Amino acid sequence: MSTATLTARRNQNLYRQPAKVRLGPTSATFVVIALISVLALLYLNQITKTNLFSYQISDLSHQKSQILAEKQDMSVEAARLQSIQATQNSAVVAKMVPVGQVSYVK
Amino acid sequence: MSILLVVLSSILIVRLAQLQLFQHSKYQSQATIEHTRKYEVPARRGELYLSDGTSRSPLALNQHLNLIYADPSHVSDKPATAKALAGVLGGQEADYLDRLGKGIEYTVIADRIPIDVADKVRALNLNGVGIEPRDYRTYPEGSLAAQVTGFVNSDGAGQYGIEQYLNDQLAGTPGKLAAKTDPRGIPIATADNVIKPAVDGKSFQLTIDRNVQAMIEQQLADQVNKVHAKSGSAVLMNPSTGAVIAMATYPTFDPNQYSKTTDYSVFMNKVVASQFEPGSGMKVFTMAAGLDQGKITPDTLYDDPGSVKIGDRILSDAVGDKPGKNKSMTVVLRDSLNTGVIFVLEALGGDPNKITLTGKKTLYDYFTKHFGFGQRTGIEQANEAQGVMYAPNSPNGGDVVYASNTFGQGLSVTMIQMITAVSAVANGGKLLQPHLVAGEINDDGSLNPTATKVVQDHVISPKAAADLNQMMQVVVQHGSGYMAGQMNPGYKIAGKTGTAQIPSPDGKGYLDGQNIGSFVGFAPADNPKFALMVRIDRPGVSGYAETTTVPVFGNICKWLFKYYGIAPSG
Repeated sequence: MSTATLTARRNQNLYRQPAKVRLGPTSATFVVIALISVLALLYLNQITKTNLFSYQISDLSHQKSQILAEKQDMSVEAARLQSIQATQNSAVVAKMVPVGQVSYVK
Repeated sequence: MSILLVVLSSILIVRLAQLQLFQHSKYQSQATIEHTRKYEVPARRGELYLSDGTSRSPLALNQHLNLIYADPSHVSDKPATAKALAGVLGGQEADYLDRLGKGIEYTVIADRIPIDVADKVRALNLNGVGIEPRDYRTYPEGSLAAQVTGFVNSDGAGQYGIEQYLNDQLAGTPGKLAAKTDPRGIPIATADNVIKPAVDGKSFQLTIDRNVQAMIEQQLADQVNKVHAKSGSAVLMNPSTGAVIAMATYPTFDPNQYSKTTDYSVFMNKVVASQFEPGSGMKVFTMAAGLDQGKITPDTLYDDPGSVKIGDRILSDAVGDKPGKNKSMTVVLRDSLNTGVIFVLEALGGDPNKITLTGKKTLYDYFTKHFGFGQRTGIEQANEAQGVMYAPNSPNGGDVVYASNTFGQGLSVTMIQMITAVSAVANGGKLLQPHLVAGEINDDGSLNPTATKVVQDHVISPKAAADLNQMMQVVVQHGSGYMAGQMNPGYKIAGKTGTAQIPSPDGKGYLDGQNIGSFVGFAPADNPKFALMVRIDRPGVSGYAETTTVPVFGNICKWLFKYYGIAPSG
């Protein structure tokens, strides 16, 4: 290799101008479309998640209603078992005796 | 080619602009209608409770149950469907087949079905059979206080009793929900949903003591059956507050199964809704007028002629009463002498031998303005009757009518009016507002109590009330209420019987051999804790109120003395 060549090579990369990235109109359109698509997907994803939560809320509300209904059922059953009629028909009451003469201490 | 593309693009742009800009609101509203549904959010009906000592016990609750219905025209295999339904719901297959065989589009298969059973029916996946969840009113005490309570019909409206009277307060206000829905119509919880919350109905505690109520209902049923009567009623009141402790009518019904009742008359609370001629019980109030006006005293004497002629009518004492001279007003009440109370009416007018307009006006004032007869008391019950009493200057306010009024004929009253008026005698002269609501139950379970309301402070003077109290005690000691006294030795009981004839439906006289017996009084007479009235309608045995109502009155008093721990006063 000649000296001239070596000199030229030595000076060749001492300073490099940074390359300018420039998008043409077609590339820009694709990029915008891609961005919009990504955003749309994110939006759809969020909406789907929200709707899923809505269904979960609906399910939980339904479960709450069922539990409340069961609680009501039990309250009614408890009240029925403690009713005068049920009490009078109970075996315990059947063994009780009427109150006789009462003496009052004045 | 380029021109074609430009034209097509222009058309597309114009059309899009038309749809999205100029018709935006139209399509948006259509979309909203499609995605949004409106729902009514039901309000929870308020509950009713009975008093039970210092606590409360449920009388009317709500239960979420199901209605099973069918559209027979869509049921393809009716025998198989009937068999499947009988397998889950119980009962006879033939009954279900009968219901499915009806040529109608809607038939109720079963009512008040619990959720788990309804789920089993749903799992059968039967064509033409549907399930509708509903809120039902449930009465855990069954028939206890049924007429006081009433019931809630299939439309959710209160009928009879307190359910009807307080319907607006019990029902609450339904809410509204406008929600976005998914394609299946299921509401989605979004921030855009418009919700107007339901306002639940108010809950109330009644003054009715369930133990006393049960006892009185039992006593009443036993007596009605014993004397083969058509019906019977009783009411117990605290004379110091006007609170109704028990209110019963027999025969009764189960509000859980009101639709199975064929005799609708049993729905009626006769204590408030049935007006009747009270008979001699009214003599108490004739005497009250005479005593308060100072025209008589318990010892005022009169000569009993046995009968008196008023206009063209002869009014007599009851069969068996003998005429006699120098009978006191105490004896008049004790022996229930009709001529004696006519004497009081004449005394009120200032002429001892004649009924005058002044006397009639005074009696009318006492009966209506003082004691409240002829007007509704305002107790929390539907269909309250007001009774009838003719004004002295009205066409029906003649002397004969007024003479009859003194012993409880020619007018009509209700039991709630009678017990309220007798309570005024018991408490020394205060007419109190009768009430069934002990208070409204707050959200935290505490009670917002109903205040005692004095309707009139001095319907009669304390002296007149005390004199009348003594005279009524004599009725129990030596008169028609004797048996009640004998059943409760050592206790002072004040009372008055009444045996009234029943007016003929055609308006001509009275029905032969039929009567309404009643006994109204209070105890202990020296410090009244309760006022009680018992009424037995059309007994199938002969005799007056002393044989039909006094025994049950005595039995109830005996039980109450023990229940309240009231010692005999000697």
